Amino acid sequence: MTAATLARQSADETPDPDTGKLGMWVFLASELLFFGGLFIAYLYGRTHFPAGWAAGSRRTDVVLGTVNTALLLTSSAAVALAVACEDDDRRRRWTARLLALTAGLGAVFLVLKGVEWHAEWHEHLVPGPAFALPVAGAQQFFALYFVMTGLHGVHMIFGVGALGGLALGRARERPWAGARQIEVAALYWHFVDAIWIFLYPLLYLVDRHG
Amino acid sequence: MAEARTPTFARERRGIALAWIALLALMLTSLGSAYLKLGPWNMVAGLVIAGIKVAIVAWLFMRLRAAGALIRLAAVAGLGTWGLLLALSGVDYATRTLTSAAVQRPQQLLPVQAASAPRHALQ
Amino acid sequence: MTAALPASYLDDGLTLRSWLTTTDHKRVAILYAIAITAFFFVGGAAATLIRLELATPQGDLVSHDAYNKLFTAHGVIMVWLFLIPSIPSVLGNFLLPLMLGARDLAFPRLNLLSWYLYVAGGLVTLEALLLGGVDTGWTFYTPYSTMFSNSYVVLTLVGVFITGFSSILTGLNFIVTIHTLRPPAMGWFKLPLFAWALYATSLILVLATPVLAITTLLVAAERLFQIGIFDPAFGGDPLLFQHLFWFYSHPAVYIMVLPAMGVVSEIIPCFARRPVYGYASMAYAILAIASVGFLVWGHHMFVSGQSLAASMTFSLLSFIVAIPSAIKVFNWTATLYKGAIRFDAPMLYALGFVGLFTIGGLTGLFLASLALDVHLTDTYFVVAHFHYIMVGGSVMAYFGGLHFWWPKATGRMYPEIWARIAAVLVFAGFNLTFFPQFLLGVEGMPRRYHTYPPQFQVLNLFSSTGAGVLAIGYLMPLAYFAWSLLRGAPAGDNPFEAKGLEWQARSPPPTHNFDAAPVVPDRVYDYTAEEREPEPESAP
Repeated sequence: MTAATLARQSADETPDPDTGKLGMWVFLASELLFFGGLFIAYLYGRTHFPAGWAAGSRRTDVVLGTVNTALLLTSSAAVALAVACEDDDRRRRWTARLLALTAGLGAVFLVLKGVEWHAEWHEHLVPGPAFALPVAGAQQFFALYFVMTGLHGVHMIFGVGALGGLALGRARERPWAGARQIEVAALYWHFVDAIWIFLYPLLYLVDRHG
Repeated sequence: MAEARTPTFARERRGIALAWIALLALMLTSLGSAYLKLGPWNMVAGLVIAGIKVAIVAWLFMRLRAAGALIRLAAVAGLGTWGLLLALSGVDYATRTLTSAAVQRPQQLLPVQAASAPRHALQ
Repeated sequence: MTAALPASYLDDGLTLRSWLTTTDHKRVAILYAIAITAFFFVGGAAATLIRLELATPQGDLVSHDAYNKLFTAHGVIMVWLFLIPSIPSVLGNFLLPLMLGARDLAFPRLNLLSWYLYVAGGLVTLEALLLGGVDTGWTFYTPYSTMFSNSYVVLTLVGVFITGFSSILTGLNFIVTIHTLRPPAMGWFKLPLFAWALYATSLILVLATPVLAITTLLVAAERLFQIGIFDPAFGGDPLLFQHLFWFYSHPAVYIMVLPAMGVVSEIIPCFARRPVYGYASMAYAILAIASVGFLVWGHHMFVSGQSLAASMTFSLLSFIVAIPSAIKVFNWTATLYKGAIRFDAPMLYALGFVGLFTIGGLTGLFLASLALDVHLTDTYFVVAHFHYIMVGGSVMAYFGGLHFWWPKATGRMYPEIWARIAAVLVFAGFNLTFFPQFLLGVEGMPRRYHTYPPQFQVLNLFSSTGAGVLAIGYLMPLAYFAWSLLRGAPAGDNPFEAKGLEWQARSPPPTHNFDAAPVVPDRVYDYTAEEREPEPESAP
């Protein structure tokens, strides 16, 4: 190995293409444990307050929740397609549009989430002195509902920003919006989707038949 | 090398399309099953279906199918560590006997400290 | 330095801006060193006030509230702003690429971001201190922290959150670096043990710290919005906080000790002129400590109301986690056997580590025993135990590493005589401070109390006196390291004749680290005791 070879080893210059992916997967492992603490708190509540959890979950907006789930699943498909397009010489012109579609779907998700929260505020489902449900544990359910969807929403905001930025950068052929960066951002997006995939049944579908 | 195992664009597009349809179908199944009276199996159904959906996202969309051992290990490590948190705290929760005392009965009242001197948000 | 030599990393940009925008891992390490040293002395000032107060039985120096805030500040600063980042972010950042023959870490800009996040978190925590402090103890136990404390809990937790994010990114950087930037000739079992230690530490950083992050968020939410998850009146569980908190905070102590063990494994072979005994078992022991370390957190909760079954499980696992640590102690000792031992300052610190860590580790077994822990928990026995490991262990290893690699980083030698005196003072002062605390704990003196019955005064006076000696020992390096920067003798590339790729770079290294590709030896720790001139008295 020459000094020149050594000198090129950092990720800023000509890195191994898998370095960024490995870095993102390691980051996602940490994110899993970040959300994981909330899932533990959720499990505690569900096992100790089954009635409260059921009462609370019945008051979530299952229509908006399902629509939002469908939007996110579609957005994951869209960004996966974008990554596939970027790998193919003939389809590369579609990448930016697919990235913009993904970001757009994510933005719609956030708007709908805001609508949900707004409605829940008006129905007195936000934990506090005027909380609407007298069942024990229902307040904790909604507390976790807002913390979990809120934290998820913050991650979505970062994702929408990243993918939107990459869509613009890719359209303008910027060097920082290449295949590697897009694939890494897509991994992040899929993870945020995966978290929602679990939040959906845990928050919206606890006891719909009661 | 991961690149050599990446399928052609047409195959990948088909895979993504099929996965998308499967994901939506699973979502509707999960939704539907919630309206059936299955007792504790409702939660099981919800979690199992969610697990399958995440597996599809991870395997196909996140390309774990084509990834090397190291990345797969990274994918599993977080889940495994979370599992340890669940398992060992579960030992406590499964074996702790809770004897209810008056103050512990859940109630939807203000906690005592709300009556004390107001604090500002940073405290 | 003569004019003919090309610039080192220190000469590569002399403005403040060049330092604050650097992505050179060596400069980032220096930035960390400055910030960490500052926080070390703030935390040390809190400790000084604590020991001054405890020199007399009455609470006559500070009020009850102020005392609570002092030990909280000491804990928060020393754990999160000093111990956790110190060896990884100072020594690890500087040395890891050099040890791997690489030009930099895998993500140099992320490295700089880590430093900025660390400083931001530290400043937020300091701000909380200046505004009035927090009095919950560094453990922030609920329901006191969520319901009753009238201090700056949320602000402090914001600082901790930010600093935690910094450490996650550092761990991420190290993991990817070790996987992807090793030279082809350096397989896993030719890695220096310091790199193994950093790898295992980084796994813990990445996997455990996020749980602390979510816990701080939940405490803040509970405090701001009374959500009730930790409040028994709402059916919540204060122990849920402890499970989440200690799930991070126990592995955190391995974040603090594993890199220290790595440093010791670099120093002892060099100054005994012997390869590490049982290299493979040392590496496996590092991995075992990191993994089993995730399984023992409930030993902090034996008397908290946790179920007996869970306590017994955690107690058993805590005994098991001691085994790999013991293996390492045996192997360090075996490395010394038939070595040509030199008692240079780094070696004094390393040997001090081995002895003091052993005592700290053994006393951990006392605490892991359920029946004994009922008596010893929340007494000064616990305080002594963790200070033996964290101060007698980690801080001594940090100082040993600072001395060992100082010539490499600065190109100058520190004054050896003064360094040895400081090391001896630290060792003596440390033992005088903390050994009496084992006795105090057994006799029943509780921790976190600022008054105590008069019969405990003698031991407390020993302890406070020792703290004074320890302080001198810690202040001396400030003076002689500064002197060394200005007037120290040129060190040369390898003043200790050490093996390891970092010593093949110049002292101090150029920005790109190596002028020519370093040679990866066939054997790691390729020391032989016969290399050095035999001492006159060891003639056959």
